[in-house]
Amino acid sequence: MSVFTSLIQKIAPVYPQAKRWLHRFNGGVFPQYRKELSSRQPIHVPIIPERLIMPLQQQVGQPAELLVKIGDKVKKNQLIARSSKDANKALVVPIHAPTSGTIEEIANYTLPHPSGLEDIAIIIKPDHLDEAIENVLQVSGKTPETPQQLKDILLNAGIVGMGGAGFPTYAKLPKETAKIHTLLINGAECEPFITCDDLLMQTEADAIIQGALITANALGSTKILCGIESNKPTAIKAMKAAAKDTIIEIIEVQSVYPMGGQKQLTQELTGVEMPHKAHAVDIGLLMMNVATFAAIYKAVTLGEPLTSRLVSVTGLGLAKPFNIRALIGTPFDTLAKAAEPKTELNYPLVMGGPMMGFAVQNNQVPVIKTTNCILANPPEPTEMQMPCIRCGECMDACPINLLPQQMYWHSQAHEFDKVEKLNVFDCIECGCCSYVCPSHIPLVQYYRHAKSEIKEIHAEEKAVALAKERHEFKLARIEREKQEREARLKAKKDAVKKQAAQSSTTDKPSSVPKASNAAAAAGAKAAAAKRAAAKNAAKNNDNMSTEPEKTENNIPAARRKAIEAAKQAASQANDSEGNVMTPKEAAKKAAMAAAKKRAQAKKAETTEPTDNSVATESEATPFKKDPKQAAKAAAMAAAKKRAETKKSETTEAADNSIATENEATPVKKDPKQAAKAAAMAAAKKRAQAKKAELASEALEQSVDLTETTEPSAASKKEAARKAAMQAARAAAKKRKAESDSNIAKPANEDGSNAYSDSTNDKKQQAMQLAKANAAKKAAERAAKKRAEQAASDSTEESN
Amino acid sequence: MLEAIIIFIGLALLFGLLLGYASIRFKIEGNPVAERIDKILPQTQCGQCGFPGCKPYAEALAKGETEVNLCIPGGREVMIEISEITGLEPKEMEETEEEDKPKEIAYIDEDLCIGCVLCIKECPVDAILGATKLMHTVIKQECTGCEKCVPVCPVDCIDMRPIPLSTRNWKWPEPGENATPAETSAREQS
Repeated sequence: MSVFTSLIQKIAPVYPQAKRWLHRFNGGVFPQYRKELSSRQPIHVPIIPERLIMPLQQQVGQPAELLVKIGDKVKKNQLIARSSKDANKALVVPIHAPTSGTIEEIANYTLPHPSGLEDIAIIIKPDHLDEAIENVLQVSGKTPETPQQLKDILLNAGIVGMGGAGFPTYAKLPKETAKIHTLLINGAECEPFITCDDLLMQTEADAIIQGALITANALGSTKILCGIESNKPTAIKAMKAAAKDTIIEIIEVQSVYPMGGQKQLTQELTGVEMPHKAHAVDIGLLMMNVATFAAIYKAVTLGEPLTSRLVSVTGLGLAKPFNIRALIGTPFDTLAKAAEPKTELNYPLVMGGPMMGFAVQNNQVPVIKTTNCILANPPEPTEMQMPCIRCGECMDACPINLLPQQMYWHSQAHEFDKVEKLNVFDCIECGCCSYVCPSHIPLVQYYRHAKSEIKEIHAEEKAVALAKERHEFKLARIEREKQEREARLKAKKDAVKKQAAQSSTTDKPSSVPKASNAAAAAGAKAAAAKRAAAKNAAKNNDNMSTEPEKTENNIPAARRKAIEAAKQAASQANDSEGNVMTPKEAAKKAAMAAAKKRAQAKKAETTEPTDNSVATESEATPFKKDPKQAAKAAAMAAAKKRAETKKSETTEAADNSIATENEATPVKKDPKQAAKAAAMAAAKKRAQAKKAELASEALEQSVDLTETTEPSAASKKEAARKAAMQAARAAAKKRKAESDSNIAKPANEDGSNAYSDSTNDKKQQAMQLAKANAAKKAAERAAKKRAEQAASDSTEESN
Repeated sequence: MLEAIIIFIGLALLFGLLLGYASIRFKIEGNPVAERIDKILPQTQCGQCGFPGCKPYAEALAKGETEVNLCIPGGREVMIEISEITGLEPKEMEETEEEDKPKEIAYIDEDLCIGCVLCIKECPVDAILGATKLMHTVIKQECTGCEKCVPVCPVDCIDMRPIPLSTRNWKWPEPGENATPAETSAREQS
């Protein structure tokens, strides 16, 4: 092998591509590494910056859940944002404070992300005391025996893949023991300029080796391979020394970009090429970066979460490049300035290496868990993009045997389906194709754009399928509900018919009076229940609609009287419920009073259903108690009423039913029959109410369905709803008018205050409050004579 | 002569039976053209075409009863695709939508909502959650942005808002004339 290698080295000056024969994967490039800039310097003394910026979302997946508030004192290693309950699904990792200090601000800050977007971040002002909580993860120091134990520790420690992708490590590990037969350690570090892994291996080789052994132990792996590029002889020596007498095998690999890619190093170390769309875990391999293993070691044995990492601060624009153990959240600018920039840092810094890194939008962005390098290369004149000459260099350089040129053509033409067919999602965006392109075409940019577009197309397809499914489900549901309603209506009708038939048959034989008493009692109870419901509805209605109407009009007063009468009757009825035989006179009086009140109400031309129903109750109840008296009273009432209804020509359903009821009673003096008649009338009323509802297209089905089971409430509820709607509409109009006349601000504030106060209460209460506010406002305005045409309109509307 | 007639009658009967059998055995459910059109329609179920949903419009198109240019959310692209499938003459869109309008979804101001359930009834994909006299809210993932709920609200508490840009839905821009600084710095090594 060495003979072959030396032969290649000799050919290389004449035919540089010959170096590609030395490694197992296709292509690759040989850039100038410039690692000596930072690798020769010792690790810089720690820097605690003036402020630390901790974005809640540091990697792929969802942002973490905030645990602190502004002004809180935190200590080093304290948990400041936690992962959600379902961490596995959401890929959330917790965030810990990197040093002690105060939470200064929680606000949007620019992320170290190619988009340059802002997101919520916690700002910590360090107190420079660096007080730490020891063993914050509360580990026993014992090595975990099962993958799940290790996964729990890794999740709590907030460890993510530190090579660059930042995939949460706990999510990467398999649950099953011995699924991973070979553990791979990635110490290749192939990107130019970056030396943080090199330095880590030189200084913390033991931690890396121990971390790997802990992981292998927990996962049940039997083999550990570590690949280090040949351009790091010191690191190889240190690692070999640390790995002595262990199952870890240190392998020196060829220095070629992108050797540090997971797929490439796996292929180099094991000879296995990763299948399309498969994860390394699926074929029993797991690769992690050296820094990740060091973090695992610290978490498992010392209980330390991930709060700092080695970062290379390097580049041609810096006089003294270095590596530093930087706290997560340190602004790039602070670190770059510590390295003595040759010129002013008025150009964007690059996060990551020159091949795969991206320029940040703002030099104040913080170091995050995946920041391995801060690169300060002064801008150079960009070379003109020329047309593709189809030289095929990119194809030779592609480490995963894609067809970059084809993908470029289709991306440019926006034929994204074809780009996808060319397996653009296997592209690791290493940038080899762009690097070798003689026409300086930013090929990787095209692939990234194509990937984004394809992802969006797929997301849209999914959304369309979902919308279609839900629309069809809705149509089916409406159809089903319609059928159910029809069926129920039919069943009700049948029941009524049956009852009518039965009552006509039982008419002939005179029934036993004792049984009739019981029946009457039952009827009375039902009536009482109904009455209670009516009262509630009436109260509701009052609350909802009377307040804005207070100003004038005496109709509500009449109605209130009627309600009061009803209440009185109800209380009397309640008193006498235990005793079947009521005081005759009381019943008579009540009936008379009710009838009178009703007459008054009628005269005032109230056509609201609640009134009618209340009146119905007040007159219906007493005569059920005492049939004879009731019959008399009812007859009188009925006569009056009939006359009135004729006069006013109201065709309310409730009225009709009452009339029929009243007509029925005097003829059949038997109390049982009276009760039956009442039942029939009630059924009829129900049916009518339902019809009316159907005709007027009740607003919401769910409520309607419940209403049909207690039909007497239906009409009242509807009335209440109508009133509510009217009030709401009036409120809306008023609001608009107010905004027009530029006095909207206080009103809105009041309104919003009222709302925010009552957010925990029921919506109804909030509504009432708001309405009271609105009414108050209206009154104020009237007093100040500031009312304009629109305002007066709105008050009229509310009246 | 007679045998010829018998042979042809026999053949006619045979093929008649064959055709009859095939029409039952290989019967196509639904209208394949309508289904193809339904597939390319955007499924916002907005009803701007005058039909109650995308499928009824697709069915009407398949029967040739309507115009190809009624799908407003689909825009010109969908119109051309429809005319290709149906063979109807492509027609210019009547209402020209401003190009690349970002996708919007409905947002309910929960402080103003009175719980009237009108919008719930209107939503074609059941993406609004709530009950009578209780606050309503929009399920973001399921809203198609059809705007049908906006006019029915009695208190005007629904408005359409574009989906906020975050790192999760951010897209890499298409490369223009100049490469990004990252690419530049990569090239300077060579």
